[in-house]
Amino acid sequence: MISYAVRRALLMIPTLWVIATLTFCLVRLAPGGPFQSERDIPPAARAALTAKYGLDRPLPEQYATFLRRAAVLDLGPSYSNPTREVRDLILGSAGVSFELGGWALLVALLVGLPLGALAAYRQNTFTDHAAMAAALLGVSIPNFVLGPLLVLLFSLTLLWLPPALWTSPASRVLPVLTLAAVYVAYVARLTRGGMLETLRQDYVRTARAKGLGEGRVVMRHAFRLGVLPVVSFLGPAAARVVTGSLVVEQVFAIPGLGRHLVNGAFNRDYTLVLGVVLFYAVILLVLNLLVDLAYAWLDPRVELA
Amino acid sequence: MRARPAALALALIASATALAGCGRGASAPPGRGAPRYFGSLHPPAGQVFRFNNGAEPEHLDPALASGQPDGRITRALFEGLVVSDPRTLEPAPGHAYRWEISTDGRDYTFHLRPGLVWSDRAPLTARDFEWSWKRVLDPATGSRYAGLLFPVANAEAYNSGRLADADAVGIRASDDSTLVVRLADPTPHFLHLAALYTCLPVPRHAVERYGDRWTQPENIVGNGPFLLRRWEARARLVLERNPTYWDAAAVRLERVVAYSVDDAATSTNLYKAGMLDWSPSGYIPSQYLPYMRGYADFRSAPQQTVYFYSINVTRAPLDDVWVRRALTYALDRETLARRVLRGTRPAWGRFAPGGYPGYEPPPEIAYDPARARECLSRAGYPGGQGFPKIEILINTSDDRRRVAEAVQAMWKQTLGIPVGVTNLEWATYLDATAKLKYQVAVRNWIGDYPDPSTFLNCYRSGDGNNRTGWSSGPYDRLLAAAQGEGDPAARLRLLSRAEAILLDEAPVIPVYQFVTHELVKPYVRGLYATPLDYHPLKSVWIDHGGATGANAAARGAP
Repeated sequence: MISYAVRRALLMIPTLWVIATLTFCLVRLAPGGPFQSERDIPPAARAALTAKYGLDRPLPEQYATFLRRAAVLDLGPSYSNPTREVRDLILGSAGVSFELGGWALLVALLVGLPLGALAAYRQNTFTDHAAMAAALLGVSIPNFVLGPLLVLLFSLTLLWLPPALWTSPASRVLPVLTLAAVYVAYVARLTRGGMLETLRQDYVRTARAKGLGEGRVVMRHAFRLGVLPVVSFLGPAAARVVTGSLVVEQVFAIPGLGRHLVNGAFNRDYTLVLGVVLFYAVILLVLNLLVDLAYAWLDPRVELA
Repeated sequence: MRARPAALALALIASATALAGCGRGASAPPGRGAPRYFGSLHPPAGQVFRFNNGAEPEHLDPALASGQPDGRITRALFEGLVVSDPRTLEPAPGHAYRWEISTDGRDYTFHLRPGLVWSDRAPLTARDFEWSWKRVLDPATGSRYAGLLFPVANAEAYNSGRLADADAVGIRASDDSTLVVRLADPTPHFLHLAALYTCLPVPRHAVERYGDRWTQPENIVGNGPFLLRRWEARARLVLERNPTYWDAAAVRLERVVAYSVDDAATSTNLYKAGMLDWSPSGYIPSQYLPYMRGYADFRSAPQQTVYFYSINVTRAPLDDVWVRRALTYALDRETLARRVLRGTRPAWGRFAPGGYPGYEPPPEIAYDPARARECLSRAGYPGGQGFPKIEILINTSDDRRRVAEAVQAMWKQTLGIPVGVTNLEWATYLDATAKLKYQVAVRNWIGDYPDPSTFLNCYRSGDGNNRTGWSSGPYDRLLAAAQGEGDPAARLRLLSRAEAILLDEAPVIPVYQFVTHELVKPYVRGLYATPLDYHPLKSVWIDHGGATGANAAARGAP
């Protein structure tokens, strides 16, 4: 298992190189550049700015410099925020995004897993239909609708919670709920599906036949395999959720990662875009690896080679 | 583009959000006919002022600052020789307590107050101003607004690299308390320029010690009414009163919190919930505006701006002046302002905004469909026959799209010509306009100082802001003559003649003017409605006494 993990980790390097190269090409293909505005910039100022960031060098040289700097995790300053290093900007926002995403995933699991398991256990009863209807609602309401609705209800009408900002603990509630809603729904549906399948398996029947209590059968035997679809969903979902949600960040004015990517792309902030993309790629690769390791641990049929 | 439907739905929901709760809770009017307020009326405890500064500031270095979010903060942290009066924005004594202007209008002598210090108590002298202004002009600094100092003798030559010797630039500290500025031409608005953020002094010792990072809270040294305490990226900046400021006794606020909330609906929600005391212009969703007028804490004031269509005159058919005139006369601005903008912004048929004292502008362009069709016939397209399709270029924005679609319909209807609307993302749009890769493009221009030249100079031949390919010898000559003209009245007459040429040859089609729309809690004092959308924070304070608007007039409601 350890050698497998090491091999996978080493494979990440060429993957990241491909991603870095593609992103570098794509951002440079976009029309315009970082130092343009509605107002003309004096030629001298423009020349000074391009020289300062090395954008006057030939493109292959810029690419080489970028790779060299990326290898040591130093992408240099952001163009649109030149007093700050891209690394510091990303790490600062990553903390916020991780917290927001972590809470949202926790809520999703705490609510979604029991909901899905219950629905599967009581298949085709009122409980099942009610749980799945709620899940369907969660998947169907986009967060740019849910967020403002929650603000309208809890902040502007009931005056219970702040409508935005990322300051007090109370300010966490609405963005976490908004972000969690869709994941609760996914987790519940996947758990239900997985549980339905495992509850019909022979080994579950065997467990019942040898006289195990129903709670033990469900929790020990069925649930463990039943959550496998959730586990494989969790990898990419966790990556998405911790690398920021553009809409939730926008609606609640949260300084997370999602808007770095979008604003960076709009401003042609090359270093920031490259930094965020690489960061996202690393997170995704690491989480996928963790998911595969978790699979081996949960499902005795899986062998890592 | 992918995000558009989402953004639209977001805006609609958000409008419902903010409007549904109007008049509830603390904002419930005490009686019939009493003013209505938008949301909570509880002032913050103590002299704390919380506002939305909009987008995250890019630079707190005055030489590099550009745009409102940078400008509001830099002008709170630094103070120039001249400041803007908080009500009128006329130049008033700042670090200079008096100045003399020579009779030919070319020599300015500023006298600094005695005993000025930086916030680290290092003495602040005229040499700091000389160094700071020359730093703006130094090409290596890369200042985007260096052009504002070009009226100074040899400034442009030094900035463009044609002149290497900084000593030849007309800025000199003759002693510690006197700064002498020599201008190339008499520039009646020079004091207004000196009050802009680009001309704020910077602490040489901190800049040289910390380099690019000198504006970080742990390094920054200022000379303004406030000090930077914290800068949380994309969240907020916290400012505190500067005890070493020469006029610290006049500063009543202890603390200023400037949030970086770039979403207009979110900003309005925060204001309504009482978490912001001021939501400045530009941060109320435009679809709310028609409903906001009834609130006593909503105010609007004219702005020195023009929203216009820029025409690329280098390509057929728009290289023909008659085609451009046809487009100009076929535009029904009044209907557009009434129906599309719903009265939130006034129609405008000139390029320079009105209201400059002594400036008599040329007649406004009026809607004249008959004349428009006649002009199109003269261009060889009677009834629009044979006219190739033209495209209006906009950047992604629902407001701009609505206006462009209205204009498209007007041109089709009046002239019978095919018109399309193309939408590009901001940076691509900027690239297209700068490289003349468009036919008609929406643009707007915001004046830097109260003088028509801040608008008219853009259309000199080859000016970087021109972006139309239009060039006119008579226009250039009139502007050059105005620049050298010592008599202010004669100068304004020359500028007016130049504007008449610009409107007649129509490389630009003015459409409407912007108006500021802001929300200010009634307990905020000293934040006046001003003509340039700049509001000095030094005079602001929080009134914890009767706050419900009986004395709203005192706070300068329009």
